Amino acid sequence: MEMKLKDNLSRLPDNTAMKQQQLPACHFHFSATRILTAFFAIGALCLVMGIILILSSKSAKTIEINYTKICANCAKLQENAFNFDKECTCSIPFYLPEKMQGNVYMYYKLYGFYQNLHRYIRSRSDSQLLGIDIKNVEDCAPFEKSHNGTPIVPCGAIANSMFNDTIILSYNLNSAIHIKVPMLRSEITWWTDKYVKFQNPSSRNLSNAFAGSTKPLYWSKPAYELDEEDPGNNGFINDDFIVWMRTAAFPTFKKFYRRLNRIQHFTEGLPAGNYSFNITYITSFQGEKAVVLSTLTWDGGSGLFLGFAYTVTGAMTWLVLFSMIAAHLMLKKRKTFFLQQ
Amino acid sequence: MICLHIALQGSTESLLRRSERKYKEIVIVDQDNRIHTSKYNVLTFLPINLFEQFQRVANAYFLFLLILQLIPEISSLTWFTTIVPLVLVITMTAVKDATDDYFRHKSDNQVNNRQSEVLIDGKLQNEKWMNVKVGDIIKLENNQFVAADLLLLSSSEPHGLCYIETAELDGETNLKVRHALSVTSELGADISRLAKFDGIVDCEAPNNKLDKFTGVLSWIDSKYSLNNEKIILRGCVLRNTSWCFGMVIFAGPDTKLMQNSGKTKFKRTSIDRLMNTLVLWIFGFLVCLGIILAIGNSIWEQQVGDQFRAFLFWNEEEKNFVFSGFLTFWSYVIILNTVVPISLYVSVEVIRLGHSYFINWDRKMYYAGKATPAEVRTTTLNEELGQIEYVFSDKTGTLTQNIMTFKKCSINGKIYGEVHEEPSQKIEMIKKKEHADFSANPKADSKFQFFDHNLIESIKLGDPKVHEFLRLLALCHTVMPEENSTGQLIYQVQSPDEGALVTAARNLGFIFKSRTPETITIEELGTLVTYQLLAFLDFNNIRKRMSVIVRNPEGQIKLYSKGADTILFEKLHPSNEDILSLTSDHLSEFAGEGLRTLAIAYRDLDDMYFKQWYKMLEDANIATDERDERIAGLYEEIERDLMLLGATAVEDELQEGVIETVTNLSLANIKLWVLTGDKQETAINIGYACNMLTDDMNEVFVIAGNTAGEVLEELRKAKENVFGESRSFPNGHAVCEKKQQLELCSIVEETVTGDYALIINGHSLAYALESDAKNDLLELACMCKTVVCCRVTPLQKAQVVELVKKHRNAVTLAIGDGANDVSMIKSAHIGVGISGQEGLQAVLASDYSFAQFKFLQRLLLVHGRWSYFRMCKFLCYFFYKNFAFTLVHFWFGFFCGFSAQTVYDQWFITLFNIVYTSLPVLAMGVFDQDVSEQNSLDCPQLYEPGQLNLLFNKRKFFICVAHGIYTSFALFFIPYGAFYDVAGADGQHIADYQSFAVTMATSLVIVVSVQIALDTSYWTVINHIFIWGSIATYFSILFAMHSKGIFEIFPNQFPFVGNAGHSLTEKLIWLVVLLTTVTSVMPVVAFRFLKVDLYPTLTDQIRQRQKAQKKARLPRSRRPQARRSSSRRSGYAFAHQEGYGELITSGKNMRAKKSPSAPGLEKTPYNSTSWIENLCKKTTDTVNSFSQDKTVKL
Repeated sequence: MEMKLKDNLSRLPDNTAMKQQQLPACHFHFSATRILTAFFAIGALCLVMGIILILSSKSAKTIEINYTKICANCAKLQENAFNFDKECTCSIPFYLPEKMQGNVYMYYKLYGFYQNLHRYIRSRSDSQLLGIDIKNVEDCAPFEKSHNGTPIVPCGAIANSMFNDTIILSYNLNSAIHIKVPMLRSEITWWTDKYVKFQNPSSRNLSNAFAGSTKPLYWSKPAYELDEEDPGNNGFINDDFIVWMRTAAFPTFKKFYRRLNRIQHFTEGLPAGNYSFNITYITSFQGEKAVVLSTLTWDGGSGLFLGFAYTVTGAMTWLVLFSMIAAHLMLKKRKTFFLQQ
Repeated sequence: MICLHIALQGSTESLLRRSERKYKEIVIVDQDNRIHTSKYNVLTFLPINLFEQFQRVANAYFLFLLILQLIPEISSLTWFTTIVPLVLVITMTAVKDATDDYFRHKSDNQVNNRQSEVLIDGKLQNEKWMNVKVGDIIKLENNQFVAADLLLLSSSEPHGLCYIETAELDGETNLKVRHALSVTSELGADISRLAKFDGIVDCEAPNNKLDKFTGVLSWIDSKYSLNNEKIILRGCVLRNTSWCFGMVIFAGPDTKLMQNSGKTKFKRTSIDRLMNTLVLWIFGFLVCLGIILAIGNSIWEQQVGDQFRAFLFWNEEEKNFVFSGFLTFWSYVIILNTVVPISLYVSVEVIRLGHSYFINWDRKMYYAGKATPAEVRTTTLNEELGQIEYVFSDKTGTLTQNIMTFKKCSINGKIYGEVHEEPSQKIEMIKKKEHADFSANPKADSKFQFFDHNLIESIKLGDPKVHEFLRLLALCHTVMPEENSTGQLIYQVQSPDEGALVTAARNLGFIFKSRTPETITIEELGTLVTYQLLAFLDFNNIRKRMSVIVRNPEGQIKLYSKGADTILFEKLHPSNEDILSLTSDHLSEFAGEGLRTLAIAYRDLDDMYFKQWYKMLEDANIATDERDERIAGLYEEIERDLMLLGATAVEDELQEGVIETVTNLSLANIKLWVLTGDKQETAINIGYACNMLTDDMNEVFVIAGNTAGEVLEELRKAKENVFGESRSFPNGHAVCEKKQQLELCSIVEETVTGDYALIINGHSLAYALESDAKNDLLELACMCKTVVCCRVTPLQKAQVVELVKKHRNAVTLAIGDGANDVSMIKSAHIGVGISGQEGLQAVLASDYSFAQFKFLQRLLLVHGRWSYFRMCKFLCYFFYKNFAFTLVHFWFGFFCGFSAQTVYDQWFITLFNIVYTSLPVLAMGVFDQDVSEQNSLDCPQLYEPGQLNLLFNKRKFFICVAHGIYTSFALFFIPYGAFYDVAGADGQHIADYQSFAVTMATSLVIVVSVQIALDTSYWTVINHIFIWGSIATYFSILFAMHSKGIFEIFPNQFPFVGNAGHSLTEKLIWLVVLLTTVTSVMPVVAFRFLKVDLYPTLTDQIRQRQKAQKKARLPRSRRPQARRSSSRRSGYAFAHQEGYGELITSGKNMRAKKSPSAPGLEKTPYNSTSWIENLCKKTTDTVNSFSQDKTVKL
């Protein structure tokens, strides 16, 4: 009753398009022609893309050498606890039938190494790696502190399990002359990792900065001595370390190790011929290790999968397209048939 | 049994004595009249509200998840992924609850602060309602609302009578009489004596029975029994009584009104229930996934991890792999919980709220006449409006306006009041045409309209039959005249029909002026004539007629009678044959137009004959045995050999657009049942008037048995009748199990051909609702196109609704305007109140309210349909989206050693549902339209998918889930394949976990955005903004969170620094995203195209048509344009109880000044001494029968 007393006009709803659900709008209508055209176009696109991808990935040269078995001796040696950190080198000769043109990249590849385990992936301290507070080991369980209570730097399971085999590629011109293929270890990391995410503590002398900390249990050298050749490549900003710390998504992964320095014999890339890998085998695990040499294409190093997937998708799209056309035409016939009746 | 004793000492203090069997105690009653409907105050809000919120399963579940996440061993997600949405939801709900409660506080305050006059310290003082206490004496004035339940002490009217209107309580608009005890009515308006009143009232405990009160008043050494007739209840309005005094018996929450209001049941929609089931299933599914992954984890730990652990976690103790699996299970429960994200519940509420606002804002549901827009009072039921199968409607005030207008009459074989124009032109014609001119008549009621000058001419010419006709109308009725302050004549009518007739006579020059118990004075064309009222042969349901016997100034004795034609025509003198056939034709014509007709007849009586008859009547009156039968016989005896004068036609005006609405609803396959407290004839009349009943119907069953057996037999007979005609069913329907019953019912419904209608009255309904007849009733009612229940009590209305709700498993809607509809409105799935009428009870109890019945079709066919459509689309998409989003973790589990590692960044998981994908789907849920509102109205068949629950059901759910699973599969395995052996453009590795997470997240956001773009059929600006905006937001937030700045502040929270920039510049990643999008979307498009192309639904066709922009609407094939001619029906619509004949003839309701001075001269046709007793007896009879009904049915 009280309501009636209110101003009549104020109770009349506003006549706006929004309130009256009359907003101007377009109805998207999927007519037969539109849909069929779209299917045709997408199918064609996928097919073309698939073929390009397959061709391009074929053009890339890749050689992969699994050294798990060849270096099994070293692994066996290390199983003996006494020889735990004894260096062991094995050499793997191989023949490169065709030359690898252009930039050649070297990767190490691990099979069955679970870098994506939940507890593993979390076992790191980004604030420590940022160099601000190297004693910050809170997320690093179970590799936070050594037995005597000093913090591990860099802490955590990821750092601890760092890949530390050394792989050296030699070009065997003949049985006598073995040329060490020049490799660059720079620019194998992301710029942001090297310059933002990983920072050494701001101290002139790294070993001072790392004072009061312990090296990871599996490491033979502390972090500030990782690269003996280049003092600027030590500590947290060591390239190999950074690469390792960028954990892989799947248990089988390859990681960037070195890239070819195109000087001397190798300005054109790797010439065909005999090569050998000299691997300093440090640790073994249940999976397998391999080393990969490869060149890249316009899109980077895509495998065959994407090319095939595109081709199959394109083919399927066209298949569906044809069946839809058939169904549509049959329906039309049926409709006209009914109309005639 | 508990009694309350209210003792009055002085008047301000009172005592309550509660006596139980064993002990007596005296308590001072301090019950004040304040009412609380609010739930919280400032202090209690937070604890109570939080407690209430965590009682909801969903909230409790998320709290449980939050606790799980705080356990470090199993926490696979950080706590903020759950707490951010949870806090958001709880805050939003709390704000909504607080606002609601604020408005309740406001309305409480408004009611509590109303003023009333209370007798304090021997003086009348204004006091707020909330300060009125039990035992106070209150003075009420005309047209005031009653503040509390009062014992009537005295009033301005003679004999302590007062009139009240109980519309707010029971929906009846006719006046009711209450009378004070004679001892207290003597107190009058004497303040000093009233102030000294110190009676003690013993009464029953507060209860919700509106029509029953028992108590005893002890005052000055004597005891007086009290019943309902002495009580005025809160919520009534005092009418026609300038003042009255009453003592407060029950105040505040004890009043019958408040006791009746009851707690509103929390209503849920069927989608809600389905959603709950589905959510349970999903939890089951989730647990299964958890178990699979946990087993996987155990195996992995044993086979691989064992050795692997030695390498990675060598200093940890050897762990039990079963225990590890157990922990993994909980971790996966946490990760996979996003299948049912908390935002689902919030989004559903937001969408419903949006739809509610659309209803509130709809100008086409705004009634200018009463300045009332439609109002949504429960915002959580909207989509159910699109699934209604049964509509239960009240009649008075809902279908009809409850305004009677005298439309036509037939006098001596001649029709007056015809309008010859075509109906379509009628409106214009009315404007042009001059009304019959009543300006010559100063007493004319200005509102009266009559369009035939012929009648005026005839009156002027002095046609004796016409005069006699009008004279009869002015004499034969129970109307009470009254003059208001400006000297205008006002009629107090008991039923609007009578009012219409007397007003018509008045405007045509036969003005009913005044009455005393033995005279009636009318002004016949300017001259005052007083008739002696010799006898009053009152109306009742069996007689269906009323008569008066009067002596005119010339000394002639005449019997004037009006009544149902069927009854009256049997009583006519044989000489009436010619006029009878003419009138009969006219009556058919009137009835065909849906008018309520009465036949009018008179008889000249011989003086001697009358005296003999009167003597016999007096004898009969004092007889002790078979009194009623003897009187009835005598009435029969004198009401014969009548001379037919003609017939009247009164229109019970339907509300605007009712016929169209009823037709449209029935085209939409919505069954309309009319449940009315009104009489059978009236209800049937209205049924015909709004085309619910037609003469084309094969049969109209009327169930009016008086015993259980009779009713059962009638029901069975009717059923057999239907089965017999459709010849498809044997008599195997007698005993059926409930389930079979249901099936049978639906089968029957389809096989029965022809239209049937069922009309059942309240008395029979009471029996029919008993268990053994219930099934028969239901089965029969289901087969009938129209069901009309008349003379049903509010409780029965609710029972009928419950019956259909329970056994038919259908969605019901109840619509009504009065307090008598409250129970039905509350028990139906959706209650609609017609607002703007006198009472607000129905509106307050309702979920939706608007001013006109016709808005119902817009509410259901447009808003309801859209709501349902949108909600279903929303749910389908939402489940799809979250399955696609979440199941990726399941696939990933197989590649990460089942270690409960998430695929995405934690922030992405937190924000995905509330930021990245919430708005586009909300926009679709709020704005989407499949067909335009015009098309939904033009083609009511579009409503059917909702009734059949086609747009979202378990099957649809499984399709959505399958779609989601497929998408998650594509989303995961395409990047997996592509990342297997991949390097970035500059040789750097991009197959790292973080890049994978970013790729997946980007693909997911793009895939679900493309999907919503395909799902949205109505692209408004808002949709554009939201869809494009969401993608833009995703990328900007992604880059922000992967930026250097935020990383340096929180290095541990945002470890993805630089990832977006790095990954999204790789061509390969975009190739993956593109392929993922194509493979996840194209199959759906193909599937939908084929479905629409091969098996188009009606909606698809209409859309196509709409698209083609052909303005041609669907042919309204079955919509009847004109009313069919109908059989004749007669309505004699008096009040439910017997008329006030006795009251009139006894003169008790006359003004004191007019009451007879000398008893000797008084000519009392009845022994009137006990009229009050009679009246009481009648009322208590009805009350008793009512309460019996109740007990029987309960």
